Amino acid sequence: MILLASILAGGLAGFFYARWQKHSWSIPPFRYLWLIFIAFLPQFFAFYLPATRIWYSDSLAALSLVSSQILILIFCWLNRRLAGIWILAFGTALNLLVIVANDGFMPISPGTAGHLVAQDTLQTIQEGGRFGYGKDILLLPENTSLVWLSDRFLLPGWCPYQVAFSGGDILIAAGMFWLMLTQGQPLKAK
Amino acid sequence: MKNALTQLALNVQKIDRRHIQFVLALLTLVMLVLGAGAPEDGGHVGH
Repeated sequence: MILLASILAGGLAGFFYARWQKHSWSIPPFRYLWLIFIAFLPQFFAFYLPATRIWYSDSLAALSLVSSQILILIFCWLNRRLAGIWILAFGTALNLLVIVANDGFMPISPGTAGHLVAQDTLQTIQEGGRFGYGKDILLLPENTSLVWLSDRFLLPGWCPYQVAFSGGDILIAAGMFWLMLTQGQPLKAK
Repeated sequence: MKNALTQLALNVQKIDRRHIQFVLALLTLVMLVLGAGAPEDGGHVGH
């Protein structure tokens, strides 16, 4: 949800910025957009589609996640001339790094996970086990590689929607916001 | 019924090719951030 909000916020900011500059606004001129469709497909079946994700073994789901993120990085490289894509690519690379370092899944600590689900639900998941059908695994901080890159940030407590996210996620959201704001072009002073 | 179908056909013709391209590009960007990111809200845990 926070990542989708970055598209919406960036699009709105870009629209008003373009109007202020007396230009029209459009989606950044990405190349090889079809590659994103190909890249997302393994994740769609492994994590999002309820009918298929239950059939995935942990190792196949991990392989789907890693291969998918490698393809996304290739897409970023192919679009490296667009402003903002490097921020998004760096965030993706950080996520991929911590995922690869932790058996193909994004680690989340029991302390952070306790803010997302009830304690009795949390107790049914053993350490190192998948956190539902998502991309996360439950790991104690001392057993996590690159713990500072894991899903360790939370929205403020007063926020009714709770989500855990990583530093990489923040960069991905920032990169997408910048891409949508600038339409992939360097900003020009009026 | 015939009028309704005619009206529908006219409305469909009004959909610009650029609008379809815009929606497809937007969908792809959604796939991009969902694929690159790994936030967790616990919504599918215990189901």
